[in-house]
Amino acid sequence: MKIFIMPPNSLILFDLVERFGHEPLSLMKALRDRVTSNEIEAPPLNVTLDDVKTGLKYAGIEIPSGIRGRLAIYGPLIDQAEAAIFMEDAPYSFGCVGCQRTNELAKLLVRKRKVPILSLDYPANEDDAKDMVVRVKEFLEGLK
Amino acid sequence: MDSNIETRLIFIAPTSDLTPDRIARFIHNLGNEISVKETCYGVVLQGPKDAVKRTLDEVRKMDPNRIYSKIRAFPMGDLRRCRAHHGSRPGFAQLEKEWKDLCLVEQGLICVEKGEKPPTPKKRQKIPVNDLRKLIDEVSP
Repeated sequence: MKIFIMPPNSLILFDLVERFGHEPLSLMKALRDRVTSNEIEAPPLNVTLDDVKTGLKYAGIEIPSGIRGRLAIYGPLIDQAEAAIFMEDAPYSFGCVGCQRTNELAKLLVRKRKVPILSLDYPANEDDAKDMVVRVKEFLEGLK
Repeated sequence: MDSNIETRLIFIAPTSDLTPDRIARFIHNLGNEISVKETCYGVVLQGPKDAVKRTLDEVRKMDPNRIYSKIRAFPMGDLRRCRAHHGSRPGFAQLEKEWKDLCLVEQGLICVEKGEKPPTPKKRQKIPVNDLRKLIDEVSP
């Protein structure tokens, strides 16, 4: 099954989802096509006209353009998602306020789709990590 | 670039005895015809998707709970990212934090392997107001 992960470029979640036999829907895969396309000079900083149109499907015109641009990439992933795993409580160094707001809107869009969701926190110690991995495994096995 | 080409990062957990050099040599010896580049946290692989997958499966066998991987958007040595060409490296703070956490995730995977029931983690609570006041008084008396 296709699992949407949040943060969408998380190493830990990408690895765990793949390890337990599912396909992670990650930002890296979505950016790959843009990065290797000759049409965009400095991806992911630039967007194309089509991206702006795609973004409008997921975020209204009053939403800041940076967030709409990001959602043009996240949105199609959310549409494909059959389940989702969110890791909350990330350190501030993970991204700017624009990234944070985009993540919040993306989570809302996933919740609106009514797919199974597992919400976790970044582990702070061994007990947290054990609990986290076991919950991820049980969640992913329950989807089969 | 060919859509069949995949770039993958392989991370070695901080608790592992493996080195990027050893993994790179091991991959060269496999002869899967993919490119390998050593990095500070592990290696970067690039090649046809099935060859990269086969290589990753072999590398994982070296230390299953301490080797992690994810794909990468930018190709290996891309001028916009490669440090040798003064490329920017946004997102490194996240990679660094998650790399440090891999030794915790490893404990989780061991727990799953053994089929143990995980201990109930303590619920994180907000800092009490009095403690917060003490902290503020220390900084600005």
